[in-house]
Amino acid sequence: MTTPAIEVQNLTKRYDAFTALTDITFSVQPGEIMGFLGPNGAGKTTTLRILTGMISPTQGTVRINGLDVAEKPLEVRRQIGYLPEVVALYPELRVSEYLRYRAQIKSVPGMQQKARVAAVTEQCALGDVSRRLIGRLSKGYRQRVALADCLLAQPRVLILDEPTVGLDPHQIRQTRELIMALGRTTTILLSTHILPEVEMICHKVTIIDRGRIRAVDTPDKLRRGAGGGSHVRVQARADAAQAAQALGALPGVARVTAHSTSPDGFAVIDVEPKENQDVREAIFKLAVQRSWTLRELAAQRASLEDVFVHLTTQEGEPVAAAKPA
Amino acid sequence: MSKWWALTMRELKSLWYSPIGPIVGGLFLFLQGFVFWLLILILNDPRIDPTWNMARLFFGGFFYWLSLFITVPTLTMRTFSEEKRTGSIELLLTAPVTETQVVLSKFFGAWIAYALLWLSTILYFFVLRAYISFDWGPVLTGYAGTILMGGMLISVGIFTSSLTRNQVISGLCAFVVLLLFFSIGLLSIFVRDPEGAEIIRYLSLPDHINDFSRGFLDTRPLILYAGITAISLLLTIRALANPRWRS
Repeated sequence: MTTPAIEVQNLTKRYDAFTALTDITFSVQPGEIMGFLGPNGAGKTTTLRILTGMISPTQGTVRINGLDVAEKPLEVRRQIGYLPEVVALYPELRVSEYLRYRAQIKSVPGMQQKARVAAVTEQCALGDVSRRLIGRLSKGYRQRVALADCLLAQPRVLILDEPTVGLDPHQIRQTRELIMALGRTTTILLSTHILPEVEMICHKVTIIDRGRIRAVDTPDKLRRGAGGGSHVRVQARADAAQAAQALGALPGVARVTAHSTSPDGFAVIDVEPKENQDVREAIFKLAVQRSWTLRELAAQRASLEDVFVHLTTQEGEPVAAAKPA
Repeated sequence: MSKWWALTMRELKSLWYSPIGPIVGGLFLFLQGFVFWLLILILNDPRIDPTWNMARLFFGGFFYWLSLFITVPTLTMRTFSEEKRTGSIELLLTAPVTETQVVLSKFFGAWIAYALLWLSTILYFFVLRAYISFDWGPVLTGYAGTILMGGMLISVGIFTSSLTRNQVISGLCAFVVLLLFFSIGLLSIFVRDPEGAEIIRYLSLPDHINDFSRGFLDTRPLILYAGITAISLLLTIRALANPRWRS
């Protein structure tokens, strides 16, 4: 087996009385884009800060490309590009000046510094503002300057803490495309609140809540697994109670949920099939037999949002779910 | 080495571009300009002895200490506190640089700025040289002593800055330490014990400057400066490695 690009083992972080992380273990294979999901205060940023060596864990080890963060902090930092949650740059410097300075302290060889600065400026579309003072840039541009800084030393591992927060929709799309493009050559750990982003970009997802890992899997499998299976949405002109009863009697149907009847007289019913059986044909035949007018018959997948809410909510006590994207 | 230099240059650039650098520099030059004007007034007095030691007028007077009390805390208070407050310290400490490089660059950044301010006033002596003759020796030892003593005070300021994200607290702490070093000589009135008095004299900065401006560059105060500088910088490095003061 190849060495994982990021390997986190039994990580625990305690602040005086508060335990931020409890026994976290996960790994990211080279070339993977791993989504790191969790509600606010779940311990995402704490984990990422431990990975970058910014803070040290109470217990447990972190290896980046096989190197222990605690033992070889400098080598590890050399291989990481880190975009912190709060992007704080030096407002009094110009963008090009700042990137040049970062290239110098990131041991980019002197001969290549100019070329690398030009390359990341191009990659992050910063050409128009490279002479501007960082303090005068919009938040979106500052975010991209920080992202450009991440890429300067051509790191093998990128750790991005909510890279699209505060960007406008255009910039979000550009940033996602950039991340996907980078993902072809780089391992990326991407912390985010934005679930569609994870579905779009990530190969795998780790869900964390209150300092504990809740799930690690591909977005597809997660959807099929924990969060309740897919269901079929039916809209038919019929009496809701009778229709629900008839649908519930069909073979292969596990559960039926009748919603309110629409104003124009259509009953809205969700049919949950047993173990991924396709019951749509049976529903159609039933509708013909009972001469219901069928307006909608659509299989609906459980969204990652359902999975997320399900996994990060404890019984009877809803946790504040993801920030609105 | 090249990383350290890049970090130091960044310190100097940020100081120069931020409002604090030009304001402190301007104030310093204004005070020193006033001192130069006073010097010329005194020298124009026909009753003055032409062999008078120029350096004693320049180093150790009221405006000398005022300049020192203004420049040292303002140059050092922002170094770590500002980075902690804004959060830029996170990008700094997750870059492949050591804590030692970071601390030394902040120290040298502030020290170089301080030294440049003082050395700019050497121009006055070249101007005066055209009109009167004086001994360069005490002038040069005066500058050397001022810069080395400044290094010590700056290292203390850097240390206080590494402990808080509040610039005002950091600057105030540096100011208080400077004040202690400045005024410790007052205690000698109360100390009967000759050894105690000796220790107090050893720590008293005005006594040192008095010596420097007479052309004595004694090694004993220099050892004190080097020692305290080294201890402060080591403590700063330790503080930076400690999770409590890291960010």
